[in-house]
Amino acid sequence: MKISGIKYLANQGIENIWKNKMMAFATFCVLLISLLLVGGSALFYFNMNSMILGLGNQNEIAVYLDPATEVLRVQQIQAQLQNMENVDTVEYISKEEAFNRMQNQIQQGKAIFDYIDSYEFMPDGFKVTVLNNDHIEETTLDIGRIEEVQSASSSPQVAEFLRELRKVVSVIAIAVIIALSAVSMIMISNTTKASVFARREEIQIMKYVGATNAFIRLPFFVEGMVTGFFAGAGAFFITMAVYRSIFRILMEQGTLMRAFGVGSIIPFENIQLWVALAYIVAGALVGAVGSVVSTRRHIDV
Amino acid sequence: MVELQNVSVTYSSGVDALNNVSLKINDGDFAFVVGSSGAGKSTMIKLLLKEIDATSGVVTVNGYNLGKLKKRKIPEFRRTLGFVFQDFRLIPSMTVYENIAFVLRVIDAPLKYIRKRVPYVISLVGLHSKTNSYPDELSGGEKQRVAIARALVNDPQLIIADEPTGNIDPELSYEIVELLKSINDQGTTILMVTHEHDLVRHFGGRIINITGGEIVFDEVISGVDEVLPEEELAQAMSEAAAVSNTGNIILPDQRIMTSDGGFADTNGNGGVQQ
Repeated sequence: MKISGIKYLANQGIENIWKNKMMAFATFCVLLISLLLVGGSALFYFNMNSMILGLGNQNEIAVYLDPATEVLRVQQIQAQLQNMENVDTVEYISKEEAFNRMQNQIQQGKAIFDYIDSYEFMPDGFKVTVLNNDHIEETTLDIGRIEEVQSASSSPQVAEFLRELRKVVSVIAIAVIIALSAVSMIMISNTTKASVFARREEIQIMKYVGATNAFIRLPFFVEGMVTGFFAGAGAFFITMAVYRSIFRILMEQGTLMRAFGVGSIIPFENIQLWVALAYIVAGALVGAVGSVVSTRRHIDV
Repeated sequence: MVELQNVSVTYSSGVDALNNVSLKINDGDFAFVVGSSGAGKSTMIKLLLKEIDATSGVVTVNGYNLGKLKKRKIPEFRRTLGFVFQDFRLIPSMTVYENIAFVLRVIDAPLKYIRKRVPYVISLVGLHSKTNSYPDELSGGEKQRVAIARALVNDPQLIIADEPTGNIDPELSYEIVELLKSINDQGTTILMVTHEHDLVRHFGGRIINITGGEIVFDEVISGVDEVLPEEELAQAMSEAAAVSNTGNIILPDQRIMTSDGGFADTNGNGGVQQ
């Protein structure tokens, strides 16, 4: 086929959107809703995952050193901890700071500190956060093997709970996404079938005058792709507006929400490019393939 | 050229639509195919378009042996044909010009040629003023003219017209057949399926009658419009027994219509008095 022929067919595809605007609008709406359902579920899942991971990061390892450890050695241990594979951050807590924190935490029996005039009995320590909460137990054990470390403790139950929670959320989210994708495909397939059915006579005429299958399908391909592209773009802008609103509301709740890991919600700016690409590519692809596949039934004359 | 050699078609339901039909239509011929509903006309058209295959026998159209034609070659074969439908089958979203130009787009004709050829064909069917009209804005007769122009634009060797006058006013039917006749005069073979005996009687020519899946009559008649009443022609053409071995039609009142269109009374001995 000549370039001019391809150009003509592509133009036909675009013109067909306008000429069959009601069916094109129906396809657009179905694609838009499908993309929003699947995309929204996926974003919800990613955020749940991020929040659980965020909660996990709050599960830290408390490391206490032998009070007799030299200052230089403390610095070396800090560096050693920082270089460990699963370690994210290492915060040094001096004897003095540990003492102050303890004072703050024990408000009820504050009077007891009137009898303690030195923090020298407190050990130096570190607050260690990990990259992967699933391996917090191994990391805790590794830290405990350092000679000067008097104790290294974490709460593996919390880690275990979060691990289980992530698994359950993942399974549910993936099941929901698959189910929604399936429902979306059925909806899209029915709409494109209806759209093609309305023009079955046109397809038959094309076949009678000697049009090849490729000649018949190309305008449908372009039409489906363009409709899908706009549905993808529409879904992106709707998602952006809704996502930002929810993000803002949750962030305004501040401390309370952070306790539930809301601080780990992914800012839209960080993912907008991927969301836009996913929506537009998925919309265009599903629109184009759906339209072309639907022509198959009518093309054999 | 169209040639059917001992062609039979049996549908999966067991119905024998065509039974051992042999037929030859030469280049440049104009033939009417007549017959009642369910006689096998549509099956024959479907065969000629390669919509269905013969159960047995050989179908050759424009040099293509349709039984051996590969699926991917069907578009190429159909480009040698022009087809006129009873219900026009114009694409409603396209103008007259676009409906006709579309056929040339299919064969990837150069744009320059399309711009020259389409207006010419439109003027041939007398629709120059309707070039930019949409099918909805045309009368039945005009729509059929567009359909004929569309069939003609590709300069096909054969035009198959399936009841082209079926959906238009009777007075316009004559114009449509005259148009097809004038196209035939330029050398294009025309095969026109019809059940309108008035038209057949008026124009004459080669008449092929299919009844019960068989060709019961295949003769050239002419100049019969003044003499033969419609019912008689209908009856004559639908009764196999009414065709003599020499090709004359024996009418119910025993008059004989000869193949050259003349009429005679029998002399009682089976002879013919002109």
